[in-house]
Amino acid sequence: MISRLAAALVVIAIAGVAVADPEADADRAFRAASQRAAAGDPEALAMFEALGAARPLTRWTDDAWAEAARVAERTGDFARARRALDQVIALGTDDALVRRARHARDRLMAATGGGQWDALAREHHRLVAEVFGGGDPQAALEALEQLARDNPTYPQAAMALLAAAQGWEHEGETSRGIALLRAALAISGTERPRIALALTRALIRHGELDEAGKQLDELVASPGADRAAIAELREKLDTAGRRAGIRKLLWSLLVVIAGIAVGVLRREAGSWRRAARLIARPPLEVVFLIPVGAVLAVVAQTGNPLVAKAVVAIVLAGIFVAWISGALLEARRARRGRIGASRALVQAVLAVAVVAGAAYLAIDRDRLLDLVGETWEHGPVPR
Amino acid sequence: MRIILFFVFVTASTAACVKGNPESQGDDEFTDTGGTLAIEGCSYSVTTRLGAEPPRNASLTVGDDPTPRLVHLGIMGDPKTSIVAQWRTVDETTRATKIRFAAGASLTADQLTEEATGIEFGYKATGSIIYRMHQAHLCGLTAGTTYSYQVGSDGHFSPVYSFRTAPDVVANPDAEVLFGVVGDSRDGYDIWSQLVTQLEQRSPDLILFTGDAVTIGLTQFEWEEFFGRAESLFARVPMIFAHGNHEVNAVAYYSQIALPGDQENFGFDYGHAHITVANDTPDDIGAITGAYRDAIATDFEASKDARWSVFMHHQPIFSAATAHGSSLFLQQNWQPLVDQYSIDLVIAGHDHDFEVSKPMIGQAPQVSNANATVYVVVGGAGAELYDSDTLFHTAYSEKTHSASTLRVRRDLLELEGFRPDGTAIAAPGARFSKTK
Repeated sequence: MISRLAAALVVIAIAGVAVADPEADADRAFRAASQRAAAGDPEALAMFEALGAARPLTRWTDDAWAEAARVAERTGDFARARRALDQVIALGTDDALVRRARHARDRLMAATGGGQWDALAREHHRLVAEVFGGGDPQAALEALEQLARDNPTYPQAAMALLAAAQGWEHEGETSRGIALLRAALAISGTERPRIALALTRALIRHGELDEAGKQLDELVASPGADRAAIAELREKLDTAGRRAGIRKLLWSLLVVIAGIAVGVLRREAGSWRRAARLIARPPLEVVFLIPVGAVLAVVAQTGNPLVAKAVVAIVLAGIFVAWISGALLEARRARRGRIGASRALVQAVLAVAVVAGAAYLAIDRDRLLDLVGETWEHGPVPR
Repeated sequence: MRIILFFVFVTASTAACVKGNPESQGDDEFTDTGGTLAIEGCSYSVTTRLGAEPPRNASLTVGDDPTPRLVHLGIMGDPKTSIVAQWRTVDETTRATKIRFAAGASLTADQLTEEATGIEFGYKATGSIIYRMHQAHLCGLTAGTTYSYQVGSDGHFSPVYSFRTAPDVVANPDAEVLFGVVGDSRDGYDIWSQLVTQLEQRSPDLILFTGDAVTIGLTQFEWEEFFGRAESLFARVPMIFAHGNHEVNAVAYYSQIALPGDQENFGFDYGHAHITVANDTPDDIGAITGAYRDAIATDFEASKDARWSVFMHHQPIFSAATAHGSSLFLQQNWQPLVDQYSIDLVIAGHDHDFEVSKPMIGQAPQVSNANATVYVVVGGAGAELYDSDTLFHTAYSEKTHSASTLRVRRDLLELEGFRPDGTAIAAPGARFSKTK
């Protein structure tokens, strides 16, 4: 009887040892916490911390602390994240994990001024997420701007202003964005070169080319200037200058040709009233052109949106030119009975020139011209 | 594990290095035919393309300034046991190619007890200048181990860098690997520099580059900027590259970046993940529906039991950016394979923004990513940004410069983007996370 009891106890003891496998338990706990974390459950942080603190140490101990640090940082609890990273550094058996933890800790320390600015950093990151996360960002942008202005000694104040500037630019408030970039430049330290380059880019994007040129000259003169980046911006500035010149020239030509067309129409029609009547009635070529243009515009909507916008603009310009041209020919025919070949040729050349000019202006928007150039150089992308 | 050195060891009895013009010392004239050289001990070959010399075992010739520059790591074999160090020299005429190395982190030059010679070849980008690549292949390394190394030639070695081989996940199932995911740097040099700094702060094991490092793959000065600004990262972390349309299949691209297989379509395991890479802008565009599609299918089939499957190429199958948008051609030709093999994550660039799709099967967004594929666009490493939109497949899109980290654990695959200032792209839908 006693020997049977002893045997039973041994079996129970062995079974107990088999059941209490700390590695397997830790493995299960880690898996469960990972699933909670992936689902965004805030309880995951406590689960990882509990697993990290559990003894004996298992292969999952350092992993648990690493995950705890990550979850804590995401929730903005930087102090808890630093504590968890300290545990990884102290207990880690995987040198890659430890190296990563050291870097993460250094990054967090720099971003929060060694913990002094934890609350502000949390708010900064929350606002940046709100600004770029969809929805109306205006309130978050105001708050982000205010946060940086109220705390100029915050280590990331200039970067907060940079983010706010980009946010306002996305909202179409270019001037405000550029003003914020200037403010960021004024309070920047080591970030100065990158903010200066961002400001120059914004000035080029928004056609303030003289200002951009001055900014580039200042950059060239600054110590440790990024020569390649400056050269790249100088090229962009030159291109923008060239394109602005072409735009100005084309708009001038279009205005002049439009003026000539109106003057000729008035002369051929004999009075403004008759000219207006001629314009009001669509010429035959326009009647044919409108359905063709409509088909082109509709088909274009199924493809690239930038191309679609340009196609619509070019179709409208084509119809407009055909309408005016048709009215002019109609007036000429009504007055003189026939149209000479040279006159028809001049009008055709002018009409083609106007449509070509309008086409250029249509693609010189939203950087479509660059995409056209890319396609020209590298061939069409298969779609 | 015993280290296998796979080239001829240089012994003390070897003749001293030859100084001066390599052509006058008996080295061959430049021939641009390309060629193949089997790498002893590594079970793979190095193939150079038309426009480059055939690769050859390094001689002892040393030029006027053999200082190594633009050191960067690559992978051609099993990343658990092999690595390729690549570099050029200031003079471009040095042919001597050595690597000194030893297991251990942060070792000094004196502690690098192993030495091997490598291979070299010249190539021309545009014009007549010959650029000379040096490669040293280390195989038979130990998994999950940090090595220190320096490259160059006698008396002219680089600083000591260190790298880590991929972990053996059978022995260490808890091993986490972290990939830096980035693409489309092009001429945005300063943004690229900022993202490199941010990537370094995250200590990745491997860089996955989605293509378009430069504006035109033929222009060498752009490659100098790309590698030069990232040398501190690329000398420590190997890079895997998907060919982008701006690389234009240039010989400069294929010469400078060591990759597995034919350098265009290949797959490999790293940690718990299998990565498949494809070139979606081949010289012969018809290959997308033929040989390249078949290569992808073969790799998907061979790796169908992988814990996690990631597919990287350049032009997005789903994108809501207004510049390029989704590639309908790839949707028709490659997405059926992605669906068939339930690939977990597809990474692309091309559109200069950051996007995460909803879990997709065909054109239908799914509620769960359990059996569906998520497509991300990480194309904001410097090139001018494109406007981003929100379409039926979009979970998140943002017009921003960015890079991402992709964390791979046994039970977790997670991608998170970050901006050049280091702030996480943390809005709802912006993070891809999948557990098994």
